[in-house]
Amino acid sequence: MIPKEEEIRDLISGRLGVGVLEHKIPEPRRLYVLVKAGFHRDAISILLERFASTTISTITGIDLGEDIELNYHLWCGKAEVTVKTRLPKTKPQVETVTDIMPGAALYEREVFELLGVRFLGHPDLRRLLLPDSWPEGQYPLRNDWNPELFNIDSVSVEDLQIDADGNSTVNVVIGPQHPALHEPERFIFKLDGEVVVDVEPRLGYAHRGIEKGAEQLMFFQATHMIERICGICNVAHATCFCQAVESIGKIEIPPRAKYLRTIVHELNRIHSHLLLLGVAGMEIGFETLFQYLWRDREVVLDLMEKMTGNRIMAEYSAIGGVRRDFDQVLGEEVKKGLAAIKKRIDFYKNLLNNDPTFGLRTRGVGVLKAPAALKLSVVGPVARGSGIKMDVRKHDPYAAYDEIPFEEVAYEEGDSWARFMVRLDEVAQSVDIITYAIEKLPSGPYRTRVPRRMPEGESLGRVEAPRGELVHYVKSNGTAYPQRVKIRSPTLANIISFREMIRGCYIADIPTVLISLDPCFSCTDRMTFVDLNDGRKWFWSMEDIKKRRFEKR
Amino acid sequence: MIIDAYFFFRILVFPGFLFVFSFTLFCDWFERKAIARMQNRMGPSYAGPFGILQPLADCIKLMTKEDIIPENAERFVLSLAPILSFSLLMLSILYFPLDGVNAFSNSGFEGDLLLVLALVTFANFMLFLLGWSSSNPYSGIGAVRILTQFVGYDIPLTILALGPAFMAGSLSLAKIASAQKVPFALAIPWVFVFFLIALQAELEEDPFDTPHAETEIVAGYGTELTGRKLAFVRLSKDLQVVFGAALTADLFLGGPYGPIAFGLGSFVIWFVLKVLFVIFLLVFVKAICARLRIDQIVRVNWRLMIPLSLISLALTAIYVPFAKFELGGLRVEKG
Repeated sequence: MIPKEEEIRDLISGRLGVGVLEHKIPEPRRLYVLVKAGFHRDAISILLERFASTTISTITGIDLGEDIELNYHLWCGKAEVTVKTRLPKTKPQVETVTDIMPGAALYEREVFELLGVRFLGHPDLRRLLLPDSWPEGQYPLRNDWNPELFNIDSVSVEDLQIDADGNSTVNVVIGPQHPALHEPERFIFKLDGEVVVDVEPRLGYAHRGIEKGAEQLMFFQATHMIERICGICNVAHATCFCQAVESIGKIEIPPRAKYLRTIVHELNRIHSHLLLLGVAGMEIGFETLFQYLWRDREVVLDLMEKMTGNRIMAEYSAIGGVRRDFDQVLGEEVKKGLAAIKKRIDFYKNLLNNDPTFGLRTRGVGVLKAPAALKLSVVGPVARGSGIKMDVRKHDPYAAYDEIPFEEVAYEEGDSWARFMVRLDEVAQSVDIITYAIEKLPSGPYRTRVPRRMPEGESLGRVEAPRGELVHYVKSNGTAYPQRVKIRSPTLANIISFREMIRGCYIADIPTVLISLDPCFSCTDRMTFVDLNDGRKWFWSMEDIKKRRFEKR
Repeated sequence: MIIDAYFFFRILVFPGFLFVFSFTLFCDWFERKAIARMQNRMGPSYAGPFGILQPLADCIKLMTKEDIIPENAERFVLSLAPILSFSLLMLSILYFPLDGVNAFSNSGFEGDLLLVLALVTFANFMLFLLGWSSSNPYSGIGAVRILTQFVGYDIPLTILALGPAFMAGSLSLAKIASAQKVPFALAIPWVFVFFLIALQAELEEDPFDTPHAETEIVAGYGTELTGRKLAFVRLSKDLQVVFGAALTADLFLGGPYGPIAFGLGSFVIWFVLKVLFVIFLLVFVKAICARLRIDQIVRVNWRLMIPLSLISLALTAIYVPFAKFELGGLRVEKG
């Protein structure tokens, strides 16, 4: 049997003929195809025809000097295909793929604002992450851009525009500050009485310039910054980046490190899922559930602290292995703590299944059926709640997941309840995975020494973060510094489906549905330099802030 | 009625204003502590022993805070509504026979049950006005939700309150309380249970707390409130809980009269204990429920609560002659 990736390569080069300029398969389940300008749509159509469940992971734009390279990362069941195409910088125009791949809408907007590529035929090509008042013609991810180019005084500040369309709909702004949102983000809801007619999300309130910043740091330094993209799924981010870099450098990490990464990754998943389920309880006004779940989550946080030294920021994965070893005494303690959690999970499962008020608030609310979910390329528990099996741990195994038996969780209902149940089942499953991993933990070293300089190359790291598929694309040009780091967090993939879910729901369902996506906006936003949202222009140094604080007193 | 120093003492100190006010703060503490323990939290624990002074500390703190009135708000209504709702609720509680007679030193009049229910509806309407006048979308939605909820749940609450009145053959709070040698909660449990549910909705507690659902509409009708206004609205909410519990205690648990084993005297302590028991029941329901949606609440009301309350009232009407026979030897003659 020919491997899937070779079959796909032959399929694309057979159908496109001279349209394919280059192709390579650097490692299993990864295929890179460079096509002539204009052929990327055909390549994607061929994949869609052959594999109906093809979804788009993200689009990476890279400034190559003369050209801008666009990488369309597509997952088609058994392999991640990267379709590359190059455009001249003088005329950066390309045809959109949103008509055949609606899930690409946000990724095209991201490339548009950060690299200035115009997508012809995109229905709604506007800013996604940068402030509305960002000057035209400045694209921060191009190599010729630097912060000095940005003159803050030249910026015209517009007020928040909400179009009143004269009929009975009311616009309600939720965010950037709102009790239902734990991170700053703005949603403008059009309401008809208590019913939601439409929603307009606006991202970009927590940008920190991490993609650009990662290019200024050496690989081993960037690991620390990338870990700080998100507090909750920090282990996933660090592991994903390390995997991508290890794959570029052809570094084989010791088996013990693989198992240890798996253990911490799963502990992180339990902590994230319990946190989210607790928040869900709070959002639907079930405070007791919130308090109980967060109490049980403390067990995991204590175990994390014992294993990694920190409750939240694990700093565990490093390029070449993990940072700390693990002994059997601690192993017994972890197993004991998790056994207690598993008992509680049975209790919660019974509760979520049978509690009438919980059922009234979540069953049939925010429905996303499998075809729509596939079309919008959603990931993680959102996809699995709609019955789409796309667990990266199962289909594209990394760390020790190919050696550990587990079943992929999926529910068919596609409503908020199913998305919560997926997470609850995954917690129970994670307990089993960790217990198995501790019992089968191989001996040996837990880390190998790696050089700072990485060979030229590119790699795509994928892990199943608690919120879904996380993608890190890393390109190295042979130095100790990455040439490009592209991060696609699961929330960016899932937020596009929010509009689909919320239409026709009530105001009271907004928090429930939003939380069932488990949105993490600090993961999604990574790229701004000034904040002009309240219309003032100013720069404060640390001294100014201190002075101001004393003046106020 | 003699207007003398004792009359004023009863109204202002005991069992009038001062007593009700401090008891309200105590009930607030009790509610917070009880739900905290049910949720495995500490609850208030700093101010005073077991945090018992926390509600008072909160109240004093809020009184000293800056009082902001939004630019587009209706100043007059916004300032008046919190005080008015507080006063109306306080007045209605003074009508309860806290120690056998009410704070005005008489045993009320035939129909003061309907008067207190009407006063409380007005107090709730004040909360609606408050939200409506603060010109904030969240307050507006919260205000509309209050109105939707109260218009619905006032009906079953009033119907169910007539159950004990049928049993006692009177609409006077004092007479209903004194008629219960066996608490009506045991004599007509079907009315009691539905009454508690309707009361939970009337008090905007979980699962009926949509008018101030934090995660949906911030603080609902109270979003724009600060300082003194917030303090008075919070006090009104606490008073409302005490009122609801006192009404239940009076109608179903025999008000100030203790169980027969302790003699026939009427003491405030019995009333206090019964109010705390009812609050405990309400808090327990609050702790085990998620918040319903406003459409679900309205549907539950019109499709379920109103028909059920009518049926249970009819059942009570049929049951009354038998009950009089059964409990006849124990009933105190009315008059």
